[in-house]
Amino acid sequence: MKKHIIYILGLMLAVSACQKGEISSLNTPTVTGILTNPSKSDLFNLVTGTESGMRNSLSAYFDGVSVIGRESYRFSGSEPRWTTDILGGGSKKLDNNTFYLTNPWNARYQVIRQCFILLDALKTTRNEVANDAQKKAFSGLAKTLIGYQLLLNLNMTDSNGVRIPVPDKAPQGGIIKDPGQVLDSITRFLNDGKTDLTGAEVIFPLSDGFAGFKDAAGLLKFNRAIAARVYTYRKNWAAALTALNESFFDLNGSFTLGINHAFSTNGGDLINPMFLPLNSTGEIRVAHPSFAADINPLDNRILKTALRSATASQSGLSGTRDITVWPTLSSPISIIRNEELVLIYAEAKIQLGQFPDALVAINRIRTGHNLAAYSGPSTQAALITEMLTQRRFSLFMEGHRWIDLRRYGLLGTLPIDRPDDDVWPRYPIPQSETNE
Amino acid sequence: MLLPKSSLLVLFCLCSSLALLAQQNITGKIKDAVNGNPIPGATIRVPNTNRGTISDAGGNFSLAVPSSASSVIVSSTGYKTKNVPIAPGSTVLSVSLEEDFARLDEIVVTGLATTIKRSNLANAVATISGRELTGVAPAQTFDAALSGKVPGALITANSGAPGGGISVKLRGITSIFGNSQPLYVVDGVFFNSNSIPAGLNDVTGAATSGSPNNQDNPSSRIADLNPEDIENIEILKGASAAAMYGAKAAAGVVIITTKKGKAGKTKISFNQETGFVKVRHLMGVRTFTADRAADLAGAASNTDPQVQANRAWYRYKFEQAQAAGKIFDYEKELFGETGLVLNTGIAMSGGSDKTTFYLAGNRRQENGIVKNTGYLNNSVRLNIDHKINDRISVSVTTNYINSSADRGLTNNDNNGVSFGVALSTTPSFIDLHPNALGEYPRDSFANSNPIETRDRIINNETTNRFVGGISLEGRLQQSTHSTTKLIIRGGVDYFNFKTMALFPRDLQFEEKGQQGHSIQGNTNNINTNLAGFLVNNFSPHENLSLTSTVGATLETGLLDNILTSATNLVSGQSNLDASGNTTTRQFRQKYRDNGIFIQEDLSLLDAITISGGVRFDRSTNNGDYLKYYVFPKGAISWNLTKMKFWNIEKINNFKVRAAFGQSANVPPYGSKFTVLQGSNIGGFPGILVGNLRGTPDIKPERQSELEAGFDISMFNGRATLEATYYNKRINDVLLQHTLPGSTGYSIEWKNSGDLSNQGVELGLTLIPVNTAKVKWTSNINWWFNRSKVTKLLIPPYAIGAFGNSLGTFYLEEGQPATQLKGIVGNELKLIGNAEPKFQMSFFNELTLFKNLSLRFLIHWKKGGDNINLTQLLTDGGATSADYDDLINGVKAGIYRPNAGDAGVYVQDASYVRIREIGLYYNIPLKNTNIVKGLRVGIAANNFFTWTKYVGYDPEVSNFGSNTITTAQTRGSTGISTGVDVMPFPSSKRASFHVGIDF
Repeated sequence: MKKHIIYILGLMLAVSACQKGEISSLNTPTVTGILTNPSKSDLFNLVTGTESGMRNSLSAYFDGVSVIGRESYRFSGSEPRWTTDILGGGSKKLDNNTFYLTNPWNARYQVIRQCFILLDALKTTRNEVANDAQKKAFSGLAKTLIGYQLLLNLNMTDSNGVRIPVPDKAPQGGIIKDPGQVLDSITRFLNDGKTDLTGAEVIFPLSDGFAGFKDAAGLLKFNRAIAARVYTYRKNWAAALTALNESFFDLNGSFTLGINHAFSTNGGDLINPMFLPLNSTGEIRVAHPSFAADINPLDNRILKTALRSATASQSGLSGTRDITVWPTLSSPISIIRNEELVLIYAEAKIQLGQFPDALVAINRIRTGHNLAAYSGPSTQAALITEMLTQRRFSLFMEGHRWIDLRRYGLLGTLPIDRPDDDVWPRYPIPQSETNE
Repeated sequence: MLLPKSSLLVLFCLCSSLALLAQQNITGKIKDAVNGNPIPGATIRVPNTNRGTISDAGGNFSLAVPSSASSVIVSSTGYKTKNVPIAPGSTVLSVSLEEDFARLDEIVVTGLATTIKRSNLANAVATISGRELTGVAPAQTFDAALSGKVPGALITANSGAPGGGISVKLRGITSIFGNSQPLYVVDGVFFNSNSIPAGLNDVTGAATSGSPNNQDNPSSRIADLNPEDIENIEILKGASAAAMYGAKAAAGVVIITTKKGKAGKTKISFNQETGFVKVRHLMGVRTFTADRAADLAGAASNTDPQVQANRAWYRYKFEQAQAAGKIFDYEKELFGETGLVLNTGIAMSGGSDKTTFYLAGNRRQENGIVKNTGYLNNSVRLNIDHKINDRISVSVTTNYINSSADRGLTNNDNNGVSFGVALSTTPSFIDLHPNALGEYPRDSFANSNPIETRDRIINNETTNRFVGGISLEGRLQQSTHSTTKLIIRGGVDYFNFKTMALFPRDLQFEEKGQQGHSIQGNTNNINTNLAGFLVNNFSPHENLSLTSTVGATLETGLLDNILTSATNLVSGQSNLDASGNTTTRQFRQKYRDNGIFIQEDLSLLDAITISGGVRFDRSTNNGDYLKYYVFPKGAISWNLTKMKFWNIEKINNFKVRAAFGQSANVPPYGSKFTVLQGSNIGGFPGILVGNLRGTPDIKPERQSELEAGFDISMFNGRATLEATYYNKRINDVLLQHTLPGSTGYSIEWKNSGDLSNQGVELGLTLIPVNTAKVKWTSNINWWFNRSKVTKLLIPPYAIGAFGNSLGTFYLEEGQPATQLKGIVGNELKLIGNAEPKFQMSFFNELTLFKNLSLRFLIHWKKGGDNINLTQLLTDGGATSADYDDLINGVKAGIYRPNAGDAGVYVQDASYVRIREIGLYYNIPLKNTNIVKGLRVGIAANNFFTWTKYVGYDPEVSNFGSNTITTAQTRGSTGISTGVDVMPFPSSKRASFHVGIDF
């Protein structure tokens, strides 16, 4: 009998041991897997994922900065906080742990993390997969995008601080509360990117959002355009002008020339999250009433909005004009374009006291939008006001007005719609950053 | 595991080799001592032999007894076991059994293959009989039928949508990001209880901004089980009782035994329930006036001429509507339907001495309280028990289930498309009804017309499921002092789950957007389990018995979910091909767990029971898949009344007990990987690092539970008190802890803290009246749990709901795991706790003149807060019923959302509810041969509720309870119940019942 028992026990153990081996990730590749000896398509996939990831949570970013900057209202049947927290309605404050802050914040750093993973993967990439010049194109793009993504988060939190990103598994630094210091870090990432892109060879695919800028020279121009914006924010006007000259800046070129986030309705792709049909109800994005009130009647930039068939209202706010900047589900969203570069040129020239040059740029914008040439006083103060006005209408809904007014200490000039509303100067630092 | 097991053992021994000895034939009848009713199915056994039989439907039996025998032992479920002496020479026995009020002789499962009498049990194991489960007022689904019946549990209906969805938490918070729901074992088969989302998020965008957790409100697969098939349920509430289930038992184990056939005449019973279902409570809508309508456009003081023009327009629209009598109550229109309930069951059981069977078919059909919603469940079960010979027996259970649920579109959404969210912004004075051509007007206040959405969408879940189990028991050897048994058990649970969500292209919210959605999901899931046990009983002396068990178990699972979402549909089509764009997503998960265990039970004088065991477990979900984790257990109980020194007659049972055990929760699949998710652009395939960082060395969370208590039974069992204290500690809690967003990851899997749950469970059973004509049984349970985060290796953080400004669950060392914090003024403050202060249930059964019985169950939940975002949305949409009441001089609907106080929407969800009430009458039959029994009854379910909570129901969970993580959204957590965001309103039911036995 004992023998029987031993036999059966042995059988039971054999049954339980008949399947062996680890069960790996069935659904997706893993980071650990891609870091060792990546193939060419592994690297391509990482680049595509990076470009694609830059679009995540963009609508929360644009809606947030546009509503705080009184460019638009976001009425939503399902999300009252666009009209409470964001506008400071009643005694409401900005929440340091909710979607309008954490989603875009996390999404930008996620892209940065991906860029560092791409940089790590390049370290183990064999030369047969990509030679040095080809690797430089990957790393140049990665560093450029790290700089750009960090800039967007700095735009939100400003002197509440950001953290300078570090490679995967490296210890994190503290929160840097001096925006100047952060801008310098961003500049370093961009300049490193510039170094890599110089003489590099692009083998990876990019979407048509980068049309015209898909090669190393094009990416270099993109890098410098972002650098020009950063130098402007840093008030380093000479450097801004130098960067402009290395970018795709063209005083007489098309305003829309530039780099975009591409969208499509294709499977696996994203649709433009800022698209809302005209005259929609429930989920609504309308221009702030001051947009139509303040714009020159001749200005063709009024066409960035369209009169609604019925006024939209929520919580004591109302708007009559829908926003038409993105007319379809696959309309691109601009990352940076020539019109901004022209205005950066104007700003730098004004700040350097070179008013005639500045006026050329200002008038390029004015005449480009059906307005007469500038006829106001040629003082620095007046020209700054003019430049900011042009920026307001030219870059409407592209995430600039709030940041521009903050740069110039003019947030107090924004309209307050309801007695208890507030104009927030900056977002709080997310709870997850300080919670240690 | 009550009667069937013991009767099986007896039957198994029937054909004994002792037949040659001198014997006499004894016949007799077994009756109830109080009312004299015959007891069918009682076991009559000759002590120290293998001989025995079972009484028939009339309580009669016949048994060959060796002339040496001086007595027989008579036992039956629910009655006290009796030793009946046989007078020399007599051949007729009449036995009256006394009811076992304290259920001391009930057999309870303590190991994977061993059982113990309740009078010697060291744990507080809750047992629910089939009659308690469905005998008062049948619930729609099995899970709903458990509500209020399990002391120590917090059972919450996630929503009122047809097809169920219930969260069951045994003894507090056992896991936060791991599995928090108990393991269901049906006849030895591990029964999958996942909830699989239908991809509605593509339409609602619910998980895209405030919370990444899925809010599709899918049904739980446990709802598939037909409650009518259940004989008995045992609930092992924590590790001290469930340790032998190892790394799956941390959240408790619900052991379900289905009905088996009994030898004897074939019995057929037919049951028909016909009833209706109605909404339990409507929140009400705002009464508009011309001024209030005008205010929707902006304040009267607004100087903007556009606003004033709009005010005039709304005023005009309101006055027009009022004059035309077209003021509508859309809430009532949407949720006010009366659904028909039909529940038909036929069961046939019987068999011979060697083979018994139970065959049952059941069809449950009901319409929901919303048009085009409903539930259908067809189930067929065949259970067969067969003795191959006197040593080997085999038992087979099979169950095929086909269920279908149409669940409408409810819960949170960010696109203004679900019924409730659209309703919340729609005032009463606009007309949403279709015109003569069937065209629906556009809702100018919401993104969708909820009447159109209700009438034209489909959200269906269809399940085809097969569950089969086999159990083989063989006696390897038997001697005077020992018996060795081998038990082999295997089971398969396979289901195909098809979801279909169709949103035609010309719906209000589709026509200018993505122009239709057809989202079809197909999930195949297979779980298998296989186990082998060797059980040795050794009784060297009549006062000493030792049971040793060794065993090994293996479980596997593979889930494959493929979801295709098509947009830009060809008009009128649902086929995925007939569309402009399709996106397909696949999510698979696979595991393999195995364990080895050994257990030793010692019984001394039938009074002291000592038990100890250890289990070794490993799982492919662990970081180190080869490592065995060790889980010990030990238990002791001492029944003082069985000791010689006991001489207090009034107290007929007094037992002290203590048990300790460890079990675990394996990490969820994939928690060891940092994945790169698909993220395409420009037609190129891309991968993007996920925001959830995996931990390669992830470990299971380990639970240690100590439980102690006493059971006392007095006045011949007419008063019984069961008192239990437990302390459950969870170490290495698996957390998805928040990382600083600047790391590029938002969360990380980490074993990062300890939790504790302490609680008390008191159960009092009273039989105040017990005469032949009137019997009153009353069962009162009172329990509470206090959970606490005792250690947190990571910084405190918000883990659920929708951010600090609306109130969030917040994990913090030294605080309750269920605390709610939110912004008050400008600070993050404690604003509530989701855990009830206590719960109480009160079950009564009153039987008059044998045949008329009244049963009711009252359930009181005291305390426990909900986050009421349904109210937030109706306030935001200016449609709350109390919008115009004044708070501090401001309209309530304006005051609340602008108070800057998250506590405004964190509200007490206490309730007292008559969960079930039923009145049944057994019609006395005379001189009928065909019909053996006839019952009629009326029953009502959740019919009466007293609560101050303003939502549809205090029981609610926007995040579900067992929702799996998929490619797109994260699953539910163990804490997030009680978040109320426009759920499917809960319903009440009433029905008429007819039962016939043949």
